[in-house]
Amino acid sequence: MSPTMLARRPGALRRALAVLAQRPARSAALPTCAVALGLLVAAFGLFRPAPPRLTAVPPGYVALVNQKGILLSDFIAQTQSETGAPFTETTPSERQRVLHEMVDEELLVQRGLVLDLPETTTEVRDIMASAVNAQVDAPLAAITPTDAELHAFYDTHRAKYTTGGTMTVHDLVLHVGGYEDADQSLAQAQTDAADAVYQLRSGASIDYVKEHYGFVDSGRVDNTEELDFAAKLHLGAKLYEAAGMLSDGEVSDPIVDTDGVHVLVMDHRQPPNVADFSTARNQVYSDYRDAQNRRGREQNLKILRSEAQILIAPGESE
Amino acid sequence: MHQITDPKHRPSSPGNRVRAPLGSRWRWTLALALALLAGAAGVAAGRLRLERARLEYRLLAAMPERVASDPVLVRFAVAQGRALFEHHCAACHGSNMRGNRAIGAPDLTDSVWLYGDGSVYDIERTVMYGIRSGRSKTHNVTDMPAFGQRGMLSDAQIRDLVQYLLKLNGRPHEGESAEEGRALFYGKPDCGDCHGSDARGDSDYGAPDLTVNVWNNGGDPQSLYDSLYFGRHRMMPAWLGTLSLEQIRALAVYVYSRSHPPGRTATTGPTE
Repeated sequence: MSPTMLARRPGALRRALAVLAQRPARSAALPTCAVALGLLVAAFGLFRPAPPRLTAVPPGYVALVNQKGILLSDFIAQTQSETGAPFTETTPSERQRVLHEMVDEELLVQRGLVLDLPETTTEVRDIMASAVNAQVDAPLAAITPTDAELHAFYDTHRAKYTTGGTMTVHDLVLHVGGYEDADQSLAQAQTDAADAVYQLRSGASIDYVKEHYGFVDSGRVDNTEELDFAAKLHLGAKLYEAAGMLSDGEVSDPIVDTDGVHVLVMDHRQPPNVADFSTARNQVYSDYRDAQNRRGREQNLKILRSEAQILIAPGESE
Repeated sequence: MHQITDPKHRPSSPGNRVRAPLGSRWRWTLALALALLAGAAGVAAGRLRLERARLEYRLLAAMPERVASDPVLVRFAVAQGRALFEHHCAACHGSNMRGNRAIGAPDLTDSVWLYGDGSVYDIERTVMYGIRSGRSKTHNVTDMPAFGQRGMLSDAQIRDLVQYLLKLNGRPHEGESAEEGRALFYGKPDCGDCHGSDARGDSDYGAPDLTVNVWNNGGDPQSLYDSLYFGRHRMMPAWLGTLSLEQIRALAVYVYSRSHPPGRTATTGPTE
């Protein structure tokens, strides 16, 4: 269409078309149209009305609480559970009461979300974490372990299946004194302790070595019978390991610990027994399941971490 | 000027006339007819969509126990449910819905139900929340313990119990061993706690009826032994969240319709 033809058209349209048809203006026309279209779309997106609020309960639900539905199925289940009767046999007042409770609960849950309880309340966070773990555990629980798998688990975790041993042990300590020349004091204490051990093994009494070498009861144990786990707790891992190797009446070599040189005298030792598989199988089964769940949860967290963006503040580490 | 003549060309004559192009009137008539056809098709499609939406609403709005008595809703739900079942459920329960003993997936065409009594509501509830799915509303009161693996019953005791189960179902069994099994059933461990004193099961727990000779994991003596020795802990995923409420209802009605052909009454308590 030539400018001459456009010139014959009347009014504003004629002028607009004439302007558009002129070569310099035509180059700007398309971008202008695109911008106008874009603005129109944006305006539509910004100013269109929000989705209409539901004013009636949709099918499948029994109530709407702040637009959040309560499932009809849940209502039936809850009513049956509370009344102990089939839903069709419940009275209107019973249903009314149950629904009232469910609406209350929904309101409280919604309030909890407003208060951001999952962020601020430890119990809610714990429950949420447990619920996720339960979902991870569920499919694993459907896999039945074989006897061979249980046996293999037992073999690699034998230490867990011991009956508790006991010990009555004296823990004597020769404190290392003097901060200025501690090494020399330690060396002297070790020499004295070695002598004391010799005397004890030769039949000397505990009172004798206390009197002649300066040993005292460490106070970690009270010289009465203790279960192994308690003795380990009281003596510490290093002394407990040495004590575990002693039989009735035996005396340990001197053992250097943080507070001096210790000598252990075993009054009575009942060593732990490793339960055989048939005895321990119930525990083995439970432990196997626990380990299976633990692996599943670790795997789940591994996946979550691989998909997450985790930023740690400078100077801190996980 | 030399006129080129086509030997194949014959002049027009009343008996041999070349067809003239359609006139503009005919073209408009054809276009109008096509437009009317398209309009009619559109209206029909719209009506179908409307009808579908109306049925979807009715299907979901009706109380579950009433759906099964409405043939229109059943027909509508079954058409949808069949495709949904094939896509989501057939992997475990089989396209023919007859279950899979290897994984303990039950036959959905019989009248025996592990949870509930096979009503649309009960089926729907199971589809929604699953069995031992990890959700708090799922069916998960108890499961079959691994009596052998956990050392709660000896090999001989399990075999005695198997004989008692065979006896309960009127199948060939060893009488003396079955008596021993009977004593065990009501002794330690007390199987009746879950399966009931009459061994008819408890659909609240999902404890199967041990007297109807329907076994999700196989009813041969070795399978029964395995159930007692290894226990059973089958699960079914929860579909709420994956499927819409309307789809779940359609699935429930479909399963219901397959397991409730006219004239059949439901029995509770299948066996694991």
